[in-house]
Amino acid sequence: MKRLGPALLALGLLAWLALWPLWASGYRVRFMLELFMWVALAQSWNLISGLTGYVSFGHVAFYGTGAYTAGILILRADWPWPLAVLAGGVTAPILALLIGYPCLRLKGPYFAIAMLGLNEVMRVVVSYFDGLTGGGLGLSLPTLHASVPVYYAMGATALGATILAFAIITSRFGLRLMSIREDEVAAEAMGIDTSRYKLYAFLLSAVAPGIAGGLFARDQGYIEPISVFPLLTTITMIVMCLFGGKGTIFGPVLGAVLLSVFQELVWARFLYVHQVLFGAIIVAVVLFMPKGILGVLQERYRLPRTI
Amino acid sequence: MTVQITGTMLLQLVVSGLLAGGLYALVALGLSLIFGVMRVINVAHGTLLMLGAYTTYWLFALLGMNPFLSLVVSIPVLFVIGVVLQKLFVHRVVHAPELSSLLLTFGISIFIANAAMLAWSADYRSVEFLTGSFLLGPIALSKPRLVSFVVALAVTGLAFLFLHRTKTGKAIRATSQHRDVAQVCGINVRRIDLITFGLGAGLAGAGGSLVSVMFAVYPEMGQIYVFKSFLVIVLGGAGNYPGALLGGLLLGLVEQLSSLYLTTQVSEAIAYLLLVVVLLIRPTGLLGGRT
Repeated sequence: MKRLGPALLALGLLAWLALWPLWASGYRVRFMLELFMWVALAQSWNLISGLTGYVSFGHVAFYGTGAYTAGILILRADWPWPLAVLAGGVTAPILALLIGYPCLRLKGPYFAIAMLGLNEVMRVVVSYFDGLTGGGLGLSLPTLHASVPVYYAMGATALGATILAFAIITSRFGLRLMSIREDEVAAEAMGIDTSRYKLYAFLLSAVAPGIAGGLFARDQGYIEPISVFPLLTTITMIVMCLFGGKGTIFGPVLGAVLLSVFQELVWARFLYVHQVLFGAIIVAVVLFMPKGILGVLQERYRLPRTI
Repeated sequence: MTVQITGTMLLQLVVSGLLAGGLYALVALGLSLIFGVMRVINVAHGTLLMLGAYTTYWLFALLGMNPFLSLVVSIPVLFVIGVVLQKLFVHRVVHAPELSSLLLTFGISIFIANAAMLAWSADYRSVEFLTGSFLLGPIALSKPRLVSFVVALAVTGLAFLFLHRTKTGKAIRATSQHRDVAQVCGINVRRIDLITFGLGAGLAGAGGSLVSVMFAVYPEMGQIYVFKSFLVIVLGGAGNYPGALLGGLLLGLVEQLSSLYLTTQVSEAIAYLLLVVVLLIRPTGLLGGRT
Protein backbone atom coordinates (compact mmCIF):
# COMPACT_ATOMS: atom_id res chain seq x y z
CA MET A 1 0.00 0.00 0.00
CA LYS A 2 2.82 2.34 0.85
CA ARG A 3 4.16 2.17 -2.68
CA LEU A 4 0.79 2.65 -4.35
CA GLY A 5 0.85 6.46 -4.12
CA PRO A 6 4.14 7.04 -5.92
CA ALA A 7 3.29 4.34 -8.45
CA LEU A 8 -0.02 5.99 -9.31
CA LEU A 9 1.69 9.35 -9.53
CA ALA A 10 4.30 7.95 -11.91
CA LEU A 11 1.64 6.30 -14.08
CA GLY A 12 -0.37 9.50 -14.23
CA LEU A 13 2.72 11.47 -15.23
CA LEU A 14 3.59 8.94 -17.93
CA ALA A 15 0.05 9.03 -19.33
CA TRP A 16 0.13 12.83 -19.38
CA LEU A 17 3.46 12.83 -21.21
CA ALA A 18 2.22 10.18 -23.65
CA LEU A 19 -0.83 12.25 -24.55
CA TRP A 20 1.12 15.54 -24.67
CA PRO A 21 1.59 15.68 -28.48
CA LEU A 22 -2.18 15.32 -28.94
CA TRP A 23 -2.99 18.74 -27.61
CA ALA A 24 0.21 20.69 -27.04
CA SER A 25 1.54 23.07 -29.67
CA GLY A 26 4.49 22.08 -31.82
CA TYR A 27 6.72 24.37 -29.79
CA ARG A 28 5.78 22.71 -26.53
CA VAL A 29 6.22 19.24 -27.98
CA ARG A 30 9.70 20.30 -29.05
CA PHE A 31 10.47 21.65 -25.60
CA MET A 32 9.42 18.36 -24.04
CA LEU A 33 11.44 16.41 -26.59
CA GLU A 34 14.54 18.37 -25.65
CA LEU A 35 13.78 17.86 -21.99
CA PHE A 36 13.67 14.09 -22.59
CA MET A 37 17.00 14.36 -24.33
CA TRP A 38 18.54 16.17 -21.36
CA VAL A 39 17.13 13.62 -18.94
CA ALA A 40 18.69 10.81 -20.98
CA LEU A 41 22.04 12.61 -21.23
CA ALA A 42 22.23 13.71 -17.58
CA GLN A 43 21.16 10.26 -16.47
CA SER A 44 23.86 8.56 -18.51
CA TRP A 45 26.57 10.94 -17.32
CA ASN A 46 25.46 10.02 -13.82
CA LEU A 47 26.15 6.33 -14.46
CA ILE A 48 29.86 6.79 -14.99
CA SER A 49 30.65 10.01 -13.14
CA GLY A 50 27.99 10.13 -10.43
CA LEU A 51 28.42 6.50 -9.43
CA THR A 52 32.12 5.76 -9.92
CA GLY A 53 33.48 9.30 -9.49
CA TYR A 54 35.35 9.15 -12.81
CA VAL A 55 34.54 12.43 -14.53
CA SER A 56 33.63 12.25 -18.19
CA PHE A 57 34.32 15.64 -19.78
CA GLY A 58 33.50 14.40 -23.26
CA HIS A 59 30.19 12.61 -23.12
CA VAL A 60 28.98 14.59 -26.10
CA ALA A 61 31.35 12.46 -28.20
CA PHE A 62 28.91 9.56 -27.85
CA TYR A 63 26.03 11.78 -28.77
CA GLY A 64 27.82 12.90 -31.92
CA THR A 65 28.86 9.36 -32.74
CA GLY A 66 25.24 8.27 -32.50
CA ALA A 67 24.15 11.17 -34.69
CA TYR A 68 26.67 10.32 -37.40
CA THR A 69 25.98 6.59 -37.20
CA ALA A 70 22.28 7.18 -37.74
CA GLY A 71 22.87 9.84 -40.39
CA ILE A 72 25.25 7.69 -42.42
CA LEU A 73 23.08 4.56 -42.20
CA ILE A 74 19.95 6.44 -43.22
CA LEU A 75 21.60 8.31 -46.06
CA ARG A 76 24.15 5.86 -47.44
CA ALA A 77 22.58 2.50 -46.59
CA ASP A 78 18.87 3.35 -46.68
CA TRP A 79 18.20 1.96 -43.25
CA PRO A 80 14.84 2.80 -41.71
CA TRP A 81 15.42 5.50 -39.10
CA PRO A 82 14.42 3.56 -35.97
CA LEU A 83 17.00 0.88 -36.76
CA ALA A 84 19.66 3.43 -37.68
CA VAL A 85 19.05 5.23 -34.39
CA LEU A 86 19.40 2.01 -32.43
CA ALA A 87 22.66 1.34 -34.25
CA GLY A 88 23.91 4.59 -32.71
CA GLY A 89 23.31 2.95 -29.35
CA VAL A 90 25.81 0.27 -30.43
CA THR A 91 28.56 2.33 -32.04
CA ALA A 92 28.78 4.78 -29.14
CA PRO A 93 29.64 2.02 -26.62
CA ILE A 94 32.22 0.71 -29.10
CA LEU A 95 33.91 4.11 -29.04
CA ALA A 96 33.61 4.02 -25.25
CA LEU A 97 35.39 0.67 -25.23
CA LEU A 98 38.27 2.06 -27.29
CA ILE A 99 38.76 4.98 -24.91
CA GLY A 100 37.74 3.29 -21.69
CA TYR A 101 39.86 0.17 -21.94
CA PRO A 102 43.22 1.97 -21.84
CA CYS A 103 42.16 4.86 -19.62
CA LEU A 104 40.00 3.18 -16.98
CA ARG A 105 42.61 0.54 -16.19
CA LEU A 106 44.45 3.38 -14.46
CA LYS A 107 43.37 5.21 -11.37
CA GLY A 108 43.51 8.96 -11.29
CA PRO A 109 42.81 11.73 -13.74
CA TYR A 110 43.80 9.92 -16.95
CA PHE A 111 40.25 9.14 -17.90
CA ALA A 112 38.96 12.66 -17.27
CA ILE A 113 41.65 14.24 -19.42
CA ALA A 114 41.29 11.69 -22.18
CA MET A 115 37.61 12.55 -22.29
CA LEU A 116 38.40 16.28 -22.26
CA GLY A 117 39.93 16.18 -25.72
CA LEU A 118 37.58 13.62 -27.19
CA ASN A 119 34.92 15.88 -28.66
CA GLU A 120 37.55 17.97 -30.46
CA VAL A 121 39.16 14.85 -31.82
CA MET A 122 35.88 13.37 -32.99
CA ARG A 123 35.06 16.63 -34.73
CA VAL A 124 38.38 16.53 -36.56
CA VAL A 125 38.04 12.84 -37.45
CA VAL A 126 34.51 13.31 -38.79
CA SER A 127 35.63 16.26 -40.88
CA TYR A 128 38.56 14.29 -42.21
CA PHE A 129 36.60 11.33 -43.56
CA ASP A 130 34.47 13.56 -45.70
CA GLY A 131 33.63 10.88 -48.26
CA LEU A 132 31.48 9.15 -45.69
CA THR A 133 30.46 12.00 -43.42
CA GLY A 134 30.20 14.91 -45.80
CA GLY A 135 33.04 16.64 -43.90
CA GLY A 136 32.42 20.21 -42.85
CA LEU A 137 29.43 20.45 -45.16
CA GLY A 138 27.55 17.94 -43.05
CA LEU A 139 24.86 15.47 -43.98
CA SER A 140 21.35 16.33 -45.08
CA LEU A 141 18.90 13.55 -44.39
CA PRO A 142 15.82 13.03 -46.57
CA THR A 143 12.89 15.01 -45.20
CA LEU A 144 10.51 13.10 -43.04
CA HIS A 145 7.82 14.46 -40.79
CA ALA A 146 8.44 12.27 -37.82
CA SER A 147 8.59 14.64 -34.89
CA VAL A 148 5.83 12.79 -33.00
CA PRO A 149 7.47 9.34 -33.36
CA VAL A 150 10.78 10.95 -32.45
CA TYR A 151 9.08 12.45 -29.41
CA TYR A 152 8.00 9.02 -28.22
CA ALA A 153 11.37 7.48 -29.04
CA MET A 154 13.19 10.19 -27.07
CA GLY A 155 10.74 9.75 -24.21
CA ALA A 156 11.40 6.01 -24.23
CA THR A 157 15.16 6.70 -24.18
CA ALA A 158 14.82 9.00 -21.17
CA LEU A 159 12.59 6.48 -19.42
CA GLY A 160 14.94 3.64 -20.29
CA ALA A 161 17.94 5.57 -18.97
CA THR A 162 16.09 6.27 -15.72
CA ILE A 163 14.99 2.65 -15.32
CA LEU A 164 18.58 1.57 -16.00
CA ALA A 165 19.79 3.98 -13.30
CA PHE A 166 17.19 2.57 -10.90
CA ALA A 167 18.19 -1.01 -11.69
CA ILE A 168 21.88 -0.25 -11.25
CA ILE A 169 21.68 1.90 -8.13
CA THR A 170 19.54 -0.66 -6.30
CA SER A 171 21.77 -3.59 -7.31
CA ARG A 172 25.03 -5.10 -6.11
CA PHE A 173 26.61 -3.79 -9.30
CA GLY A 174 25.64 -0.26 -8.23
CA LEU A 175 27.11 -0.83 -4.77
CA ARG A 176 30.36 -1.94 -6.37
CA LEU A 177 30.45 1.20 -8.49
CA MET A 178 29.76 3.43 -5.49
CA SER A 179 32.46 1.67 -3.48
CA ILE A 180 34.90 2.60 -6.25
CA ARG A 181 33.82 6.20 -5.85
CA GLU A 182 34.22 6.17 -2.07
CA ASP A 183 37.55 4.36 -1.91
CA GLU A 184 38.92 2.56 -4.90
CA VAL A 185 41.82 0.91 -3.10
CA ALA A 186 39.53 -0.44 -0.40
CA ALA A 187 37.10 -1.68 -3.06
CA GLU A 188 39.93 -3.53 -4.74
CA ALA A 189 41.06 -4.98 -1.44
CA MET A 190 37.56 -6.40 -1.00
CA GLY A 191 37.92 -8.28 -4.24
CA ILE A 192 36.12 -5.96 -6.64
CA ASP A 193 37.64 -5.96 -10.10
CA THR A 194 37.46 -2.18 -10.32
CA SER A 195 38.77 -1.78 -13.88
CA ARG A 196 36.13 -4.15 -15.18
CA TYR A 197 33.20 -2.53 -13.37
CA LYS A 198 34.31 0.97 -14.28
CA LEU A 199 34.42 -0.13 -17.90
CA TYR A 200 30.95 -1.72 -17.67
CA ALA A 201 29.52 1.47 -16.20
CA PHE A 202 31.17 3.50 -18.93
CA LEU A 203 29.87 1.30 -21.74
CA LEU A 204 26.35 1.46 -20.33
CA SER A 205 26.63 5.23 -20.00
CA ALA A 206 27.41 5.57 -23.71
CA VAL A 207 24.22 3.83 -24.92
CA ALA A 208 21.65 6.53 -24.21
CA PRO A 209 23.73 9.40 -25.66
CA GLY A 210 24.28 7.29 -28.79
CA ILE A 211 20.55 6.82 -29.25
CA ALA A 212 19.71 10.41 -28.32
CA GLY A 213 22.25 11.67 -30.85
CA GLY A 214 20.70 9.52 -33.56
CA LEU A 215 17.25 10.84 -32.72
CA PHE A 216 18.57 14.39 -32.82
CA ALA A 217 19.99 13.72 -36.29
CA ARG A 218 16.66 12.32 -37.52
CA ASP A 219 14.73 15.14 -35.94
CA GLN A 220 16.91 17.97 -37.26
CA GLY A 221 17.40 16.40 -40.67
CA TYR A 222 20.82 18.00 -40.93
CA ILE A 223 24.01 17.34 -39.00
CA GLU A 224 27.47 18.83 -39.18
CA PRO A 225 30.55 18.35 -36.99
CA ILE A 226 29.97 21.57 -35.06
CA SER A 227 26.31 20.87 -34.32
CA VAL A 228 26.74 17.40 -32.86
CA PHE A 229 30.00 17.75 -30.90
CA PRO A 230 29.50 20.98 -28.93
CA LEU A 231 31.27 21.26 -25.59
CA LEU A 232 28.19 23.06 -24.30
CA THR A 233 26.18 19.83 -24.43
CA THR A 234 28.66 18.12 -22.14
CA ILE A 235 28.65 21.13 -19.83
CA THR A 236 24.86 21.15 -19.72
CA MET A 237 24.50 17.49 -18.82
CA ILE A 238 27.15 17.83 -16.12
CA VAL A 239 25.45 20.90 -14.64
CA MET A 240 22.05 19.19 -14.68
CA CYS A 241 23.33 16.06 -13.00
CA LEU A 242 25.32 17.95 -10.37
CA PHE A 243 22.56 20.43 -9.65
CA GLY A 244 19.90 17.74 -9.27
CA GLY A 245 22.15 15.41 -7.29
CA LYS A 246 24.79 13.09 -8.65
CA GLY A 247 24.71 9.43 -7.74
CA THR A 248 20.95 9.42 -7.18
CA ILE A 249 18.20 8.03 -9.39
CA PHE A 250 16.02 11.08 -9.77
CA GLY A 251 18.62 13.80 -9.25
CA PRO A 252 19.50 14.01 -12.96
CA VAL A 253 15.78 14.12 -13.83
CA LEU A 254 15.19 16.91 -11.34
CA GLY A 255 18.23 18.83 -12.58
CA ALA A 256 17.21 18.43 -16.21
CA VAL A 257 13.67 19.65 -15.55
CA LEU A 258 14.67 22.65 -13.44
CA LEU A 259 17.48 23.83 -15.68
CA SER A 260 15.53 23.26 -18.92
CA VAL A 261 12.73 25.42 -17.63
CA PHE A 262 15.10 28.17 -16.48
CA GLN A 263 17.00 27.94 -19.71
CA GLU A 264 13.81 28.30 -21.71
CA LEU A 265 12.53 31.21 -19.68
CA VAL A 266 15.61 33.32 -19.24
CA TRP A 267 19.02 32.23 -20.21
CA ALA A 268 18.72 31.05 -23.76
CA ARG A 269 18.51 34.67 -24.84
CA PHE A 270 21.96 35.42 -23.52
CA LEU A 271 24.24 32.60 -24.62
CA TYR A 272 27.44 33.64 -22.88
CA VAL A 273 25.76 34.86 -19.71
CA HIS A 274 24.06 31.51 -19.58
CA GLN A 275 27.39 29.70 -19.86
CA VAL A 276 29.01 31.97 -17.28
CA LEU A 277 26.15 30.98 -14.97
CA PHE A 278 26.72 27.31 -15.72
CA GLY A 279 30.35 27.72 -14.71
CA ALA A 280 29.29 29.46 -11.51
CA ILE A 281 26.72 26.75 -10.73
CA ILE A 282 29.35 24.01 -11.09
CA VAL A 283 31.71 25.84 -8.74
CA ALA A 284 28.95 26.58 -6.23
CA VAL A 285 27.54 23.04 -6.23
CA VAL A 286 30.97 21.43 -5.83
CA LEU A 287 31.86 23.71 -2.93
CA PHE A 288 28.59 24.17 -1.08
CA MET A 289 26.09 21.53 -2.14
CA PRO A 290 28.05 18.50 -3.35
CA LYS A 291 25.02 16.24 -3.11
CA GLY A 292 22.82 18.49 -5.20
CA ILE A 293 19.24 19.50 -4.54
CA LEU A 294 17.99 15.97 -4.10
CA GLY A 295 20.76 15.24 -1.63
CA VAL A 296 19.74 18.26 0.44
CA LEU A 297 16.08 17.19 0.32
CA GLN A 298 17.02 13.64 1.29
CA GLU A 299 18.81 14.88 4.37
CA ARG A 300 16.22 17.41 5.41
CA TYR A 301 13.11 15.30 4.91
CA ARG A 302 14.63 11.90 5.60
CA LEU A 303 13.68 10.61 2.20
CA PRO A 304 14.83 7.11 1.29
CA ARG A 305 18.40 7.00 0.04
CA THR A 306 17.52 5.16 -3.12
CA ILE A 307 15.62 7.81 -5.01
CA MET B 1 47.98 11.82 -52.49
CA THR B 2 51.64 10.93 -52.63
CA VAL B 3 54.21 13.46 -51.67
CA GLN B 4 57.88 13.05 -52.36
CA ILE B 5 59.51 13.29 -48.97
CA THR B 6 62.93 14.83 -49.13
CA GLY B 7 65.58 15.12 -46.47
CA THR B 8 65.15 18.87 -46.34
CA MET B 9 61.45 18.56 -45.73
CA LEU B 10 62.07 16.13 -42.91
CA LEU B 11 64.65 18.41 -41.35
CA GLN B 12 62.29 21.34 -41.68
CA LEU B 13 59.56 19.44 -39.88
CA VAL B 14 61.90 18.30 -37.13
CA VAL B 15 62.96 21.89 -36.57
CA SER B 16 59.36 23.14 -36.52
CA GLY B 17 58.42 20.33 -34.19
CA LEU B 18 61.14 21.19 -31.72
CA LEU B 19 60.18 24.87 -31.84
CA ALA B 20 56.57 24.01 -31.02
CA GLY B 21 57.68 21.55 -28.37
CA GLY B 22 59.54 24.14 -26.31
CA LEU B 23 56.28 25.99 -25.78
CA TYR B 24 54.39 22.81 -24.88
CA ALA B 25 57.03 22.02 -22.30
CA LEU B 26 56.68 25.46 -20.71
CA VAL B 27 52.89 25.23 -20.43
CA ALA B 28 52.99 21.62 -19.25
CA LEU B 29 55.50 22.46 -16.53
CA GLY B 30 52.89 24.71 -14.92
CA LEU B 31 50.27 21.97 -14.95
CA SER B 32 52.79 19.44 -13.72
CA LEU B 33 53.88 21.61 -10.77
CA ILE B 34 50.32 22.03 -9.53
CA PHE B 35 49.57 18.34 -10.00
CA GLY B 36 52.78 17.37 -8.24
CA VAL B 37 52.13 19.46 -5.15
CA MET B 38 48.35 19.19 -4.78
CA ARG B 39 47.35 16.17 -6.88
CA VAL B 40 44.95 18.54 -8.60
CA ILE B 41 44.66 18.56 -12.38
CA ASN B 42 43.90 22.15 -13.15
CA VAL B 43 41.40 21.95 -16.00
CA ALA B 44 41.41 25.76 -16.08
CA HIS B 45 45.08 25.79 -17.09
CA GLY B 46 44.26 26.54 -20.73
CA THR B 47 41.92 29.34 -19.69
CA LEU B 48 44.74 30.91 -17.69
CA LEU B 49 46.88 30.64 -20.81
CA MET B 50 44.17 32.51 -22.68
CA LEU B 51 44.26 35.30 -20.07
CA GLY B 52 48.01 35.56 -20.57
CA ALA B 53 47.49 35.85 -24.31
CA TYR B 54 44.93 38.63 -23.87
CA THR B 55 47.26 40.46 -21.48
CA THR B 56 49.88 40.53 -24.19
CA TYR B 57 47.35 41.42 -26.86
CA TRP B 58 45.99 44.43 -24.98
CA LEU B 59 49.43 45.67 -23.97
CA PHE B 60 50.44 45.43 -27.60
CA ALA B 61 47.27 46.92 -29.07
CA LEU B 62 46.83 49.76 -26.58
CA LEU B 63 50.36 50.59 -25.51
CA GLY B 64 52.36 49.11 -28.36
CA MET B 65 54.37 47.04 -25.93
CA ASN B 66 56.79 44.45 -27.27
CA PRO B 67 54.95 41.10 -26.87
CA PHE B 68 58.04 39.30 -25.66
CA LEU B 69 58.66 42.02 -23.11
CA SER B 70 55.03 41.76 -21.98
CA LEU B 71 55.86 38.51 -20.20
CA VAL B 72 57.14 40.75 -17.45
CA VAL B 73 53.51 41.80 -16.97
CA SER B 74 51.61 38.65 -17.89
CA ILE B 75 53.52 36.35 -15.55
CA PRO B 76 52.89 38.46 -12.41
CA VAL B 77 49.27 39.14 -13.42
CA LEU B 78 48.57 35.43 -13.82
CA PHE B 79 50.52 34.66 -10.67
CA VAL B 80 48.14 36.89 -8.73
CA ILE B 81 45.09 35.39 -10.45
CA GLY B 82 46.38 31.92 -9.61
CA VAL B 83 46.91 32.83 -5.96
CA VAL B 84 43.42 34.30 -5.75
CA LEU B 85 41.84 31.19 -7.32
CA GLN B 86 43.75 28.96 -4.94
CA LYS B 87 42.84 31.09 -1.93
CA LEU B 88 39.15 31.35 -2.80
CA PHE B 89 38.35 27.98 -4.33
CA VAL B 90 40.95 25.36 -5.00
CA HIS B 91 42.31 24.99 -1.45
CA ARG B 92 38.91 23.67 -0.42
CA VAL B 93 39.20 20.64 -2.66
CA VAL B 94 42.87 19.73 -2.27
CA HIS B 95 42.02 16.82 0.02
CA ALA B 96 38.65 16.05 -1.52
CA PRO B 97 38.16 13.24 -4.05
CA GLU B 98 39.48 13.90 -7.51
CA LEU B 99 35.97 14.44 -8.86
CA SER B 100 35.65 17.65 -6.84
CA SER B 101 38.86 19.28 -8.01
CA LEU B 102 38.29 18.28 -11.64
CA LEU B 103 34.75 19.63 -11.66
CA LEU B 104 35.68 22.74 -9.70
CA THR B 105 38.47 23.77 -12.05
CA PHE B 106 36.26 22.84 -15.02
CA GLY B 107 33.60 25.22 -13.66
CA ILE B 108 36.18 27.96 -13.15
CA SER B 109 37.40 27.48 -16.69
CA ILE B 110 33.91 27.75 -18.19
CA PHE B 111 33.22 30.80 -16.09
CA ILE B 112 36.37 32.65 -17.08
CA ALA B 113 36.26 31.68 -20.77
CA ASN B 114 32.68 32.91 -21.15
CA ALA B 115 33.28 36.03 -19.11
CA ALA B 116 36.11 36.73 -21.57
CA MET B 117 33.64 36.11 -24.39
CA LEU B 118 31.29 38.71 -22.90
CA ALA B 119 34.04 41.21 -22.26
CA TRP B 120 36.10 40.88 -25.41
CA SER B 121 33.77 39.06 -27.86
CA ALA B 122 34.59 35.83 -29.67
CA ASP B 123 36.55 37.65 -32.39
CA TYR B 124 39.90 36.27 -33.43
CA ARG B 125 42.63 38.79 -32.72
CA SER B 126 46.25 38.68 -33.65
CA VAL B 127 49.44 40.26 -32.46
CA GLU B 128 51.34 41.13 -35.59
CA PHE B 129 54.75 41.77 -34.29
CA LEU B 130 57.44 39.67 -35.88
CA THR B 131 56.72 38.26 -39.29
CA GLY B 132 58.76 36.43 -41.85
CA SER B 133 61.49 33.87 -41.40
CA PHE B 134 65.19 33.47 -41.11
CA LEU B 135 66.60 31.33 -43.88
CA LEU B 136 69.20 28.86 -42.76
CA GLY B 137 70.25 27.18 -45.96
CA PRO B 138 67.17 25.34 -47.16
CA ILE B 139 65.45 25.53 -43.75
CA ALA B 140 63.08 28.36 -42.96
CA LEU B 141 62.85 29.38 -39.33
CA SER B 142 59.76 31.43 -38.65
CA LYS B 143 60.90 34.46 -36.64
CA PRO B 144 58.06 34.54 -34.09
CA ARG B 145 58.38 30.82 -33.46
CA LEU B 146 62.12 30.94 -33.05
CA VAL B 147 62.03 33.85 -30.60
CA SER B 148 59.13 32.23 -28.73
CA PHE B 149 61.08 29.02 -28.47
CA VAL B 150 64.09 30.80 -27.05
CA VAL B 151 61.96 32.73 -24.57
CA ALA B 152 60.06 29.56 -23.59
CA LEU B 153 63.32 27.75 -22.91
CA ALA B 154 64.60 30.71 -20.92
CA VAL B 155 61.47 30.87 -18.74
CA THR B 156 61.51 27.09 -18.26
CA GLY B 157 65.19 27.31 -17.31
CA LEU B 158 64.45 30.06 -14.80
CA ALA B 159 61.67 27.97 -13.32
CA PHE B 160 64.06 25.03 -12.92
CA LEU B 161 66.63 27.30 -11.29
CA PHE B 162 63.95 28.53 -8.93
CA LEU B 163 62.88 25.01 -8.05
CA HIS B 164 66.41 23.79 -7.42
CA ARG B 165 68.27 26.76 -6.00
CA THR B 166 65.87 28.71 -3.82
CA LYS B 167 64.50 27.72 -0.46
CA THR B 168 60.91 28.14 -1.63
CA GLY B 169 61.61 26.07 -4.72
CA LYS B 170 63.07 23.29 -2.63
CA ALA B 171 60.06 23.45 -0.35
CA ILE B 172 57.80 23.06 -3.38
CA ARG B 173 59.67 19.97 -4.49
CA ALA B 174 59.67 18.57 -0.98
CA THR B 175 55.92 19.06 -0.70
CA SER B 176 55.34 17.32 -3.99
CA GLN B 177 57.52 14.41 -2.88
CA HIS B 178 55.73 13.88 0.39
CA ARG B 179 53.24 16.36 1.70
CA ASP B 180 53.03 15.08 5.27
CA VAL B 181 56.75 14.71 5.78
CA ALA B 182 57.26 18.18 4.31
CA GLN B 183 54.80 19.53 6.84
CA VAL B 184 56.56 17.74 9.67
CA CYS B 185 59.81 19.36 8.54
CA GLY B 186 58.29 22.75 9.14
CA ILE B 187 57.15 23.65 5.65
CA ASN B 188 53.93 25.63 5.57
CA VAL B 189 52.24 23.53 2.91
CA ARG B 190 49.24 25.84 2.59
CA ARG B 191 51.60 28.64 1.65
CA ILE B 192 53.43 26.34 -0.75
CA ASP B 193 50.07 25.47 -2.34
CA LEU B 194 49.39 29.17 -2.91
CA ILE B 195 52.81 29.83 -4.41
CA THR B 196 52.64 26.71 -6.56
CA PHE B 197 49.26 27.54 -8.00
CA GLY B 198 50.44 31.08 -8.66
CA LEU B 199 53.57 29.78 -10.32
CA GLY B 200 51.64 27.27 -12.42
CA ALA B 201 49.27 30.03 -13.52
CA GLY B 202 52.22 32.31 -14.23
CA LEU B 203 53.80 29.69 -16.49
CA ALA B 204 50.46 29.27 -18.28
CA GLY B 205 50.35 33.05 -18.69
CA ALA B 206 53.87 33.10 -20.12
CA GLY B 207 52.81 30.37 -22.53
CA GLY B 208 49.78 32.44 -23.52
CA SER B 209 51.91 35.50 -24.23
CA LEU B 210 54.13 33.45 -26.50
CA VAL B 211 51.21 31.72 -28.22
CA SER B 212 49.62 35.10 -28.99
CA VAL B 213 52.56 36.01 -31.23
CA MET B 214 52.05 32.91 -33.35
CA PHE B 215 48.35 32.11 -33.33
CA ALA B 216 45.01 33.84 -33.08
CA VAL B 217 43.86 35.07 -29.68
CA TYR B 218 40.25 34.24 -28.72
CA PRO B 219 38.46 33.19 -25.54
CA GLU B 220 38.41 29.47 -26.28
CA MET B 221 41.97 29.23 -27.52
CA GLY B 222 43.16 27.57 -24.33
CA GLN B 223 41.06 24.44 -24.35
CA ILE B 224 43.36 22.36 -26.47
CA TYR B 225 46.34 23.20 -24.28
CA VAL B 226 44.97 21.49 -21.18
CA PHE B 227 44.81 18.29 -23.13
CA LYS B 228 48.19 18.75 -24.77
CA SER B 229 49.87 19.70 -21.51
CA PHE B 230 48.48 16.64 -19.86
CA LEU B 231 49.73 14.53 -22.73
CA VAL B 232 53.17 16.05 -22.25
CA ILE B 233 53.05 15.12 -18.57
CA VAL B 234 52.01 11.57 -19.40
CA LEU B 235 54.78 11.27 -21.98
CA GLY B 236 57.38 12.56 -19.55
CA GLY B 237 56.01 10.78 -16.50
CA ALA B 238 53.80 12.36 -13.85
CA GLY B 239 55.74 14.34 -11.27
CA ASN B 240 58.91 14.20 -13.35
CA TYR B 241 59.70 17.83 -14.18
CA PRO B 242 62.61 17.30 -16.62
CA GLY B 243 60.37 14.70 -18.26
CA ALA B 244 58.00 17.53 -19.17
CA LEU B 245 60.68 19.06 -21.37
CA LEU B 246 61.26 15.79 -23.20
CA GLY B 247 57.52 15.17 -23.49
CA GLY B 248 56.95 18.64 -24.93
CA LEU B 249 59.61 18.28 -27.59
CA LEU B 250 58.32 14.80 -28.43
CA LEU B 251 54.76 16.01 -28.83
CA GLY B 252 55.90 18.83 -31.11
CA LEU B 253 57.84 16.38 -33.25
CA VAL B 254 55.03 13.86 -33.52
CA GLU B 255 52.55 16.55 -34.50
CA GLN B 256 54.78 17.98 -37.19
CA LEU B 257 55.84 14.65 -38.64
CA SER B 258 52.26 13.40 -38.80
CA SER B 259 51.42 16.45 -40.89
CA LEU B 260 53.59 14.90 -43.61
CA TYR B 261 50.88 12.37 -44.28
CA LEU B 262 47.78 14.04 -42.92
CA THR B 263 46.37 17.52 -42.73
CA THR B 264 47.56 19.65 -39.84
CA GLN B 265 44.15 19.51 -38.21
CA VAL B 266 44.34 15.76 -37.93
CA SER B 267 47.57 16.10 -36.00
CA GLU B 268 45.36 16.83 -32.99
CA ALA B 269 43.82 13.42 -33.42
CA ILE B 270 47.33 11.97 -33.67
CA ALA B 271 48.23 13.56 -30.34
CA TYR B 272 45.15 11.91 -28.92
CA LEU B 273 46.07 8.54 -30.35
CA LEU B 274 49.50 8.99 -28.82
CA LEU B 275 47.94 9.46 -25.38
CA VAL B 276 45.85 6.32 -25.69
CA VAL B 277 48.78 4.26 -26.93
CA VAL B 278 51.13 5.49 -24.20
CA LEU B 279 48.50 4.75 -21.55
CA LEU B 280 48.12 1.26 -22.98
CA ILE B 281 51.75 0.26 -23.14
CA ARG B 282 53.60 2.48 -20.71
CA PRO B 283 51.30 4.29 -18.30
CA THR B 284 54.18 5.51 -16.13
CA GLY B 285 55.50 7.67 -18.95
CA LEU B 286 58.57 7.30 -21.09
CA LEU B 287 61.04 8.37 -18.42
CA GLY B 288 59.04 6.74 -15.68
CA GLY B 289 57.41 8.82 -13.00
CA ARG B 290 56.25 8.83 -9.48
CA THR B 291 52.78 7.41 -9.00
